Amino acid sequence: MEREKLEGLLIDFIDGRLNESERKEVKGLLNDPEVRVLYEQLKQVTSAMDRSSELNPSNRMFSDFQQMLKEETAKENAPQQKQVFFTPTVYRAAAAVALVMVGISIGYFVNKFNAQQETIARMEQERQEMLTNMSDPISASSRMKAVNNTTTMSTLDDVFVSALVKTMNEDKNTNVRLAALEALSKFQQEPKVKQELIAALAKQSDPIVQIALIQLMVKMKEKGVLNDLNRIIEDSNTIKPVKDEAYSGILKLS
Amino acid sequence: MTDEQIMEAVRNGDLQQASLLFDRYNKRLFNFLARMTMDRELAEDLTQNVFLRMIRYRNSYKPGHKFQSWIYQVARNVFSDHYQVNKKKKADHMDIEKVGEWVADENDGHTIDEQEKLLHRSMQLLSEEQRELLILTRFQHMKYEEVAEMMETTVANIKVKVHRAISKLREHYFQLEKI
Repeated sequence: MEREKLEGLLIDFIDGRLNESERKEVKGLLNDPEVRVLYEQLKQVTSAMDRSSELNPSNRMFSDFQQMLKEETAKENAPQQKQVFFTPTVYRAAAAVALVMVGISIGYFVNKFNAQQETIARMEQERQEMLTNMSDPISASSRMKAVNNTTTMSTLDDVFVSALVKTMNEDKNTNVRLAALEALSKFQQEPKVKQELIAALAKQSDPIVQIALIQLMVKMKEKGVLNDLNRIIEDSNTIKPVKDEAYSGILKLS
Repeated sequence: MTDEQIMEAVRNGDLQQASLLFDRYNKRLFNFLARMTMDRELAEDLTQNVFLRMIRYRNSYKPGHKFQSWIYQVARNVFSDHYQVNKKKKADHMDIEKVGEWVADENDGHTIDEQEKLLHRSMQLLSEEQRELLILTRFQHMKYEEVAEMMETTVANIKVKVHRAISKLREHYFQLEKI
């Protein structure tokens, strides 16, 4: 008989797990001295295990358990802390996705905001450069370029209106003054610009600019300047070409 | 009340009922862990840990499931976790000559004879799985059916493994006896 099968049979015999016929079979096998020794040895180790006495834990284990139970009960009865995380996994996953989306959105808007800020800063810088160049005391071409640049603007704020009016009335270079007048005429519909152009007619002493202004007033059909035109005609300092233009203007506006 | 009824009460929040389960199982679990670790003090700590887990993870107990199987599974996990955390096996470094002496305890007057010492030294030479099977079936007198249920295997499988473990134990026992 196979050794493992024999040992299994002997152990079951010792444990009283065999039926009558199996018991008879084992008893027959025990006549073999070698099997007998094996049986005795197995019986010795199994009975050694079976009769091995139970160990007793110390009193410390009992007191520790009572203490632990007391603490766990106290924790259980303590007010529940505010739950920070959603318990079902699906909610956690949804919260994670939402968090990522919010992160991406914030990142997008922050980038967009930063880009806008950069554009605004760049525009402000260009604006300051234009204003500085417009009053450049040395270079007329620099002032001319700055004035011409204003024509690319969609609207003209008060600072630029004042700067252009000042250039139109006071710049020492006629071409720059004419360029300023031309730039202002582009925004003639704006009340502030219109008011400044009308006022300029009374102040302007440069004949070339006076003529350009009179032509502009005619074009604008600004009848409010008739008195100014009469004053220009009556002014003994006004040169003939200007007087002629003023007469022409009065004729067209009357 | 059955173990299962008490555990259901604990599961439903009546933690004081855990005392009843402690009274019924502390000695058995301590013996199981003491024979697995061969260290009384450590076994007491691990037993405490088993009952702590029983309370904290009470929701993992499925109502209707046999309590004994569940609590022993908790104990096996506690034992396994302890040695995984410590990254060592007691059996790897314990002095073979001293094995068995842990069983004797001056405090409870427990003394052991040479035969019992020889038994524990032989047990030490078994694999962890074989030692566990013999502790459960021979020292703790658990039925093969109960062990099979706990280990989620068949009774026949457990029976074969126990027979092999006893056979191996016999070899070690009589080899050591000759020394």
